[in-house]
Parts: sequence; C-alpha cells; structure tokens
Amino acid sequence: GVFAHLEMLEAQAHKAAVKQEEREQREEKLARLKARVQELRVQRDELQAKVDLQQKGQLGKEGVVSDPAQPSPRAVLEWKIKSVKATLQIFYLTGISGKLTKRGVCFCISTAYEGTYLDSYYLDLLTKPEEVQIHRHSIPIFIPLEQIATKYLQTDIRRFLAVLSDHLNAYAGRRYQADQLQEHFSDQIEGTLQRNSLCNLLVFNYNVSKKSKTFPFNARLLYGDLCCSLPTEVVVSCTPDAPTSLTATAAAHSDAFRRVALHKAFRSFGSAEENVD
Amino acid sequence: MDETVAEYIRRTVLKIPRDEIKTMLEKWGFLSETQLQTVNFHQIKENISLEVVQLCEENSADIKQAAVLDIIYNHTYPNKRMWSVYQMNKRGEEMEVFDLTDFKKKFKRRLRSALKNVTINFREYEDNAIWIRIAWGTPYTKPNQYKTSYAVYHSQTPYVFISASVLKSNLPLLCQALVVASNYRDICEMELRSHSLNSLKDIVFKRYSQNFQTYCPRPLQESNVAPESADPRIVQESRNEKERIQRVNREVFGDGPQPKLEFAQYKV
Repeated sequence: GVFAHLEMLEAQAHKAAVKQEEREQREEKLARLKARVQELRVQRDELQAKVDLQQKGQLGKEGVVSDPAQPSPRAVLEWKIKSVKATLQIFYLTGISGKLTKRGVCFCISTAYEGTYLDSYYLDLLTKPEEVQIHRHSIPIFIPLEQIATKYLQTDIRRFLAVLSDHLNAYAGRRYQADQLQEHFSDQIEGTLQRNSLCNLLVFNYNVSKKSKTFPFNARLLYGDLCCSLPTEVVVSCTPDAPTSLTATAAAHSDAFRRVALHKAFRSFGSAEENVD
Repeated sequence: MDETVAEYIRRTVLKIPRDEIKTMLEKWGFLSETQLQTVNFHQIKENISLEVVQLCEENSADIKQAAVLDIIYNHTYPNKRMWSVYQMNKRGEEMEVFDLTDFKKKFKRRLRSALKNVTINFREYEDNAIWIRIAWGTPYTKPNQYKTSYAVYHSQTPYVFISASVLKSNLPLLCQALVVASNYRDICEMELRSHSLNSLKDIVFKRYSQNFQTYCPRPLQESNVAPESADPRIVQESRNEKERIQRVNREVFGDGPQPKLEFAQYKV
C-alpha cells in the first residue's frame, strides 16, 4: 500500500543519510590526517635546516640555533627509545618487520587490504653459514611456502620475503572480500559462497535486489594469479529461465568484478538498483 | 518412506544427548519450525525419536537426508571416532585451483567405478573443511548405513583425516578416490592417530599459537598454573624437570589449549 511504500522510501532515505554521514566523517578524518602530515613535514624540514646549519658550524649566529644546554643522558636515552619505537612502528606499517634472534632472524609479515589491517604471519629463520633454514613458521599450509623458499630463500632473501608477502597479502585480500560479501550481502546470494582454502575460486548464484527469491545470475571468479586479489577470469551467466534483458547486466557485472573489490562491486549494483527504483 | 531409512533416522536421533536433539534437528533443517514445535523434547528419547520419525515420514525423507543428519552428528561429536591422518604428495608445481563441484564429481565417479553399491554424501563447513560420508556395500548387497567411513579434507592442503569403519578392505578404494579427486599423485598414512580430530588438525596445520619473537608482542595471558599440591610440606620432586617440560611445551605450542596426547608409540 501507499504507507508501506512511504515507509520503504523513508528507510532508504535514512540509510542513504547514514552512508553519507559516514562518508563525510571518513573524508574529514582523511583531511585531518593529511593536514597533520603536512605539519610534520614542515617540522621535519625546519629541524633538518637546523641540523644542516649546525653541521656547517654556524653556531653563534643570533637567532639561528639556540644552543641547547648539553642534554642529560636520560634525555638522550629517552629520545633514542622514542626514535627506535617510531622506526619499528614504520617497519610494522610497511608490512615486513624482523627481529634478530639468537640463531637468526624472526620475520613478521603483516597483511592488509585497502586500509584494513588483517592477520600477521611469522617466519623464524636460522642463518647458518652454509644455508638459511626455516625453523618454524605460522604460514598457512595452502600457501606454497616450500616452492617460494626453494626458488629464492638461499639466493635472494629480500625477494623471498617480497614474494611471500605478495602471496599472503593477496590471500588475505581475497579472503577479506569473500568474507565481506558473505557478511553484508548474504541475502543476495543463494546459500553460501562456494570457495576454497586459498579463496582463489568463488562460485555463487546471486541477484541484485534484496527482496527477490530468485537468483538469476551465476558468477564464477577465478583468481589465476596467487599474488593478485582481483580475479583473472570472470564468467557471469544467467540461469536458463532468466529474462534476456539481464544478459547485458551480466556483462556489466562481469566487467565490474574484474576491476573492483568484490563487495564494492556488489555495493555498486545495489545503488544502481536503488537509482532505477 | 523406506523402513530402513526410518529405522536409521530413529537410531541416529537416539544417539544424540536429549538436550541437543532440538539444536541438531534445527541445524539439519529438514523439518520445519512448525513441525519441530509439535515435538515435546522433554519426554524420554525413545518417544522423541518416534515423533521425529513420524515427521520425517510426512516429509518423505530419503537416505540422502538421513545421511546428512549423520554427518551433522559426527561433526558435532567427532571424538566418538578414531581418526588417522593421511598425507598426499603432489605431482609437480601446478597451481592449485580447487573446484568443489569438480572434486565431488571426480570422487563419486572414481569410487562408484570400483564399487557400485556405495552411499556418498558431502557437507562443507565454514573453515573450508569438506566432510565426506561413505556407506559401504558389496557388489551384491546394498550399502550398509551402519558401516560408514568418514573423510575430512581441507581443500588445497595435502592432509586428509580418515575415520575408517570396520571394513578396512575398502580403505585403499577410499584413498584412491581422494587422490584422484584432489589432483594429487599418491597418499600414505602418517603415524598420527587420535580420537580428538581437532588436536590432529592443530598439529598438522600448526594451528596452535606459537610464540614468535617480535617487537610487538601480544599481551600474554596470565598462565593458570595452579600449584600442584596445596600442602607446602609436600616437596616437589623433579620440580625442575616439570618446569622444563612446561617451558618447552609453551615454546612450541604456545599458550593456547594444547593438543591432546592419547598415546605415543616408539619405533626402533
């Protein structure tokens, strides 16, 4: 009836408003952080200038550098600790960090996908004179660690870590997308997503509206490159009894799946559907 | 509904602890909410099972649905069975694209080509575990639903957890089907057996939380080491040895729950 329709429109408007607000908050936060980065850059440049001046022995010129009293050992130590912590934080944020151990190094590979931090994986290496050995690790069994190690571990450890990190990040990204899809769009998917341990093959039937009971689209996403979190092959087809008008939509969806993250593609379908309404 | 199916469902329900029957039937999803509401789950199990069978009769349950209920039961109580770990070896460096539909097709085809009288059912779980239930028959008799084997396989891993039934002669068939379906080359049994399926998985998939040296340590939980004996007058013999064992355990397996050791066998 009319009321039901009005209620639905109201709910849609509310949802859109909430999304808008979230988006604005995110943009605000991003702007703030960018401003902070600018601030820090300016600070850094100022300090760098001071250091340069000091090194050139320009002390004594008025107003350039106020010669600070000899810093106390405690102050120096505190500064060193702060500096080291900051460096470690930076390394952690780059995704690969390591710590020397008694017999080698312990690496930590952190994964993230589009701004969300995901799991960390560890690799305890023994550095012997003849070879580098993997002592222990927490890499999932379906990641081809042995293959990667055979290729690079002995000859180019940086490459080994980079390739392993690529595999882990891509896997984490694929899994995250599949989880997001299952979590936020479960009513648009028939049953549960068919996947595998590596999340490199996803098969599911879906529709674009939340209310429908039929799932006219079938998607098969193959991630042929294990270091990539976007599919290499996408096939979107319509079920035999689906109207022919949907074939064009299927092609558009197929293109979207190839270009953007899975859950984002679904979100774009949803908003397209809302616009049509 | 087939009488054997009815009897099978009745016996399966009887195995379930009374307080869990409703939850398990809900997980099963074969009987509707309204149907379940008509059952009094507080009466004795005998009567519950009869009422459930009656409802299954209304829905014309067949052996496939009954098998699913059996899988759910075994998945909830895996420790009732003895599990062995098998390891498969790969052909080469091929990229693994595991297609579930393909796996199931190949498995069924391989098994049925060797033995026509088998009931095969699959059920997938969120942790990528594929539970396979096989009821064995002979070339001349129908599958015996009470003589089942279970295989649990996580895609793209080289390990399978098998709980064979009494009919050990069918094991090679099962192993062959698994190897073919999962695109591996061969399979062999590891020296790892237990009732605790989760412990086996923990060991083989290294799911226990190991302690790695890192600059950003996770906060350690308070280790609940209760004193062995409350009486301080009792001196701990070989306390050093006990502490050493605990420390090594912690280093290797971490602070989480430890895998359960049931028995250890030494081969000389």
